[in-house]
Amino acid sequence: MTRKLAALIVGLALAASAANAAPSPKDWAAVARLPDWSGVWAPDVVDQNAQVHGDPPPWKPEVARQVAALEAQEKAGRPKGLFVDCLPHGMPALMLVTHNPIEFVFAPGRVILLGESDGNRLRRIRTDGRPHAADPDPSFFGDAIGRWEGGALVVDTVGVLPQTYIAVSEAVGIPNDGDLHVVERIRLEGADTLVDELTITAPHVLTGPWTTRRLYHRQRDPAAEIVEGVCLQGRYLESRDADGHAAFSLLPLGEDGAPAPPK
Amino acid sequence: MTRRQLLALVVAAAIPSAAAAHHSFAMYDQTKVVTVQGAVKTFQWTNPHAVLWVLVAPKDGGAAELWPAELPTSPGNLARMGWSKTSVRPGDKVVVEINPLRDGRHGGSLKKVTLVDSGKVLAIGPIPQAKP
Repeated sequence: MTRKLAALIVGLALAASAANAAPSPKDWAAVARLPDWSGVWAPDVVDQNAQVHGDPPPWKPEVARQVAALEAQEKAGRPKGLFVDCLPHGMPALMLVTHNPIEFVFAPGRVILLGESDGNRLRRIRTDGRPHAADPDPSFFGDAIGRWEGGALVVDTVGVLPQTYIAVSEAVGIPNDGDLHVVERIRLEGADTLVDELTITAPHVLTGPWTTRRLYHRQRDPAAEIVEGVCLQGRYLESRDADGHAAFSLLPLGEDGAPAPPK
Repeated sequence: MTRRQLLALVVAAAIPSAAAAHHSFAMYDQTKVVTVQGAVKTFQWTNPHAVLWVLVAPKDGGAAELWPAELPTSPGNLARMGWSKTSVRPGDKVVVEINPLRDGRHGGSLKKVTLVDSGKVLAIGPIPQAKP
């Protein structure tokens, strides 16, 4: 029996069951045998830039012209703020351009990726053998299923909103425009480096799959632990309301995201 | 290592950093450095970027004007560099070096702040990546 067919049968069986089963001690024991991805994983920002410059996305010709215009705009000191609205980065931008660390939580049937950046971003990756939802509501981080292949977690993501950027920086990126498919192979390389090999298929803006990689380095220093990161909080100054209670007051912000003194 | 030692290390290792999470810092002219002097109004310790708000007395007199000096990353990453929400306090007299906004608005990205009373210098270093 092929692996695909087995997965399909498992998936159908799970879909047919009325409720998600409670994890058994055996399920928890299986989690204990997974690779050790504990700690805080800081993105290698230097490598992010090296990857983008060394192996840029295969933009369609008309899209490449738009990318060049965004690059010129940034170079001229008028960067487009791709993320200044504080909406989630979404996939694949969260993995591609973020400068804040991530962490992983393993549980039976789940891998949870928690990000510090911009509102403590969250990816839920189902690893219980179920296939993708038949018609998932489009979302920023999509419908993600994963499976362990040796020490590597292979994550397959679909159902992503067409508005999320294929971003190469905070100022240069193009919406995926729909039908985005991201396959990642995430694995340890050495003791404390995590490699995410991404294959990004976005047929409306790319001529073919873009394979790129991102590196994360482990930090175990308690001072490096992930903190709350609420993006919208930066739009407010701490102040007092008319009754003297602690409150937030809205801060003017330039279109480029730079703070400006209140009028 | 104490926080003070860590800060000293950060200052010693301070290099111009392109580490700008959340939005590009291209609106700031990184070829220019402007120094402003004043009193801290507030140190906004928030995501996605911390901002040091300084009341600056104009050279030609008149009421103090508010200048934002935006730090190029978040409290999480700043803490990893040795900063804290109390690194700079309201009322502190400061000398602040910034890369100014290109369009002439008051404000810039913070490069370095010197606390006048203690002489302590805080700078922006690279985000620690704990490379093996």
